[in-house]
Amino acid sequence: MADGFRLTRRWAALALLAPPLAVFLMFFVAPLVSLFWVSFHAPSQTELFGAELTVEHYATIFTDPFYHTIILRTLSTGGVILLLCLVLGYATAYVLAPLPQRQRLFLLLLLVVPLMVSNVVRAYGWIAILGRQGLINSLLRDTGLIDRPLLLLNSFEAVSFGLMTILLPYMVISVANALNAIDVQYREAAQSLRANPFKTFVHVTWPLSSPGVASGMLLVFLLTLSAYVTITLLGGPRMKLLVSLVFDAVGAFRWPLAAAISFVLLALALVISALILAVLRPQRVQGRG
Amino acid sequence: MAHIVLVALAGLTYLLVLGPIVIVLITAFSPTDFFVFPPPGLSLRWFAAFFNTDSLRDAFLRSIQIALTSALLATLLGSMAALFVARRKGFLASLLQTLFLAPLIFPAIVLGLALLLFFKLIGGMPEFIGLVLAHSILGMPFVIRAVSASLLAVDPVLEEASQSLRAGPLRTFGLITLPLIWPGILSGAMFAFILSFGELNTALFLTGPGVTTLPIEIFSYLQFQGGQLVIAAASAVQVGMIAVMVVILERLVGLSRVVRSN
Repeated sequence: MADGFRLTRRWAALALLAPPLAVFLMFFVAPLVSLFWVSFHAPSQTELFGAELTVEHYATIFTDPFYHTIILRTLSTGGVILLLCLVLGYATAYVLAPLPQRQRLFLLLLLVVPLMVSNVVRAYGWIAILGRQGLINSLLRDTGLIDRPLLLLNSFEAVSFGLMTILLPYMVISVANALNAIDVQYREAAQSLRANPFKTFVHVTWPLSSPGVASGMLLVFLLTLSAYVTITLLGGPRMKLLVSLVFDAVGAFRWPLAAAISFVLLALALVISALILAVLRPQRVQGRG
Repeated sequence: MAHIVLVALAGLTYLLVLGPIVIVLITAFSPTDFFVFPPPGLSLRWFAAFFNTDSLRDAFLRSIQIALTSALLATLLGSMAALFVARRKGFLASLLQTLFLAPLIFPAIVLGLALLLFFKLIGGMPEFIGLVLAHSILGMPFVIRAVSASLLAVDPVLEEASQSLRAGPLRTFGLITLPLIWPGILSGAMFAFILSFGELNTALFLTGPGVTTLPIEIFSYLQFQGGQLVIAAASAVQVGMIAVMVVILERLVGLSRVVRSN
C-alpha cells in the first residue's frame, strides 16, 4: 500500500516535469545547439548552409578590423551605460531606502511599470524629444537660439544615453532590493565605532549591497547586447553595434556568419559577466540577509 | 550637501525614465497634424486613425492573441516546472532551475535567430505558432518565480494532513495546494502576457508577412515612415494595456510582489 503510493507520487512528479522539460529541450536547447553547429559551416547559395566544415566565420570576426571596431564600440557603449546606470541607479536606490515601506514601493512601481512597456515605445519617446522636429529642437527654435535643427539622433551619444534610460530601472530595483536586505544594526555598529557616514558607506553599505549592484550590472549589460530596436532607432543606419551585424548577416542570407556573430556576442556576454562578478565579488555577501 | 546631490540624481532618474513615456502619451491626444508639444488641445483623432489603419489594428489584435496563447502555455508549463523544482533540493533540481530561468538573462536576440533557423531546418513553422513558442519560453521564468514564491509560502503540514486523510496527490493538489497558490499562478500568467505583448527581440525574427505584432509594426513605421502621430496613439494603446494589467496585478498580489518581480 505504502509502496504503491510512493510509486504514484513518483509518476506524478515525472508527469509534471516531462512537458516543460520537453518544450525547453526542443525549443531552447536544440535550436541553440543547431545554431552553434551551423556557425561552423561554409555559406551556400542555394541551401541554408554549405556541407563543408570551417572556422572561417570566426576567423573573419577575429582578424577583420571592421569587426574589431564594432566590438570595441559595443564594449564602450556598454561601459558608458553601466557607469551612468551605476551612478544614477545607486543614488536613486540610496535615496529611496530610508523611506516608509508604502512610499518606497510606490516609487519603485513608477520605475517597474516602464520596464513592462515595450522598448520600441520608449525609444519613440526619445525620438519625440531628440528628433529634428522634436521637443528640444522646437524649444530652441522658438526661443531663437538656433535657425537649423540640431542633429541629436543617430549618434553614439543618443544610443548610449537613450538605452541607458531604458535599462536604468533594472539597476535601481536590484540595488534597492539589496539595500533593503541590509540589517540596520550593521550601520549602527559602524556608527557606534565612530565611523563617519563616508566610512560607513565604504566599509559597510557598499560591500553589503554588492550582490544587488552585480545583478543590476549583469542585467543591464546583457540587455544592452540584445537591444537591436533601440540601437537602430536612436543610432540610425551608421551607428552599428554587434547585434546589428547579426541582422545584416541574416538580411544577406548569410546564416553561418550570423550564427558565428551570435556566438561571439554570447562569448562577450560571458566574459563581461565573469569580469563584473570578479570585480564585485557578490558571493562574499551571500548567505547573509 | 551630499544629500541634495543624491536627491537631484534620483529626480533625474525619474525624469529620464518617465519623461519619454509621458510625452508619448500626451502627444497621442494631440489634435495637430504634426508633432507639437505641448499640443494646443485634446482630440481622439489619432486613436480613430489607429483603429482605422488595417495594418496597425491587425497587429494589435494579433499581439493580443499571441500574448494570451503564450501566457496560457507559459502558465501551464511554468506551473508544472515550479511544482517539480520549487521544493526539491540537490544538484538535479538546481540544474533544472538554472535551465528554466536561463531565458531571463539569455540574450533573446540569439534565441530569436536560433529559433528562426531551427524552424527552417525542421521544414517550416507557421509564424503564429513560432511566436507563441518563443514567447512561452521567455514567459516561463516569470511564471516559475511567481508560482515558486507562492509554493514556498504553503505550509507542507496542510498537504500532509490531506494525505493522511487518504487523499491522493491529485486530490490534495486540487483541494489544498491549488487554492493556496492560485494568486501566484495568476500573477505569473499576467507577467507572461505583459512580456509577450511588448516583446521585440525574438519577434524581429519570427514575424512574417501577414503575421506581425504591435511592437514590430510600430518599429517598422518608425523605421520606414517616420514618427507619424498615429504611432503615438499606437504606443498609448500599448501603455494603456500594460497600465490596466498592473492595476489588476496590484489588486491581486499587492504592491511588493509586483515590484519584486523584475
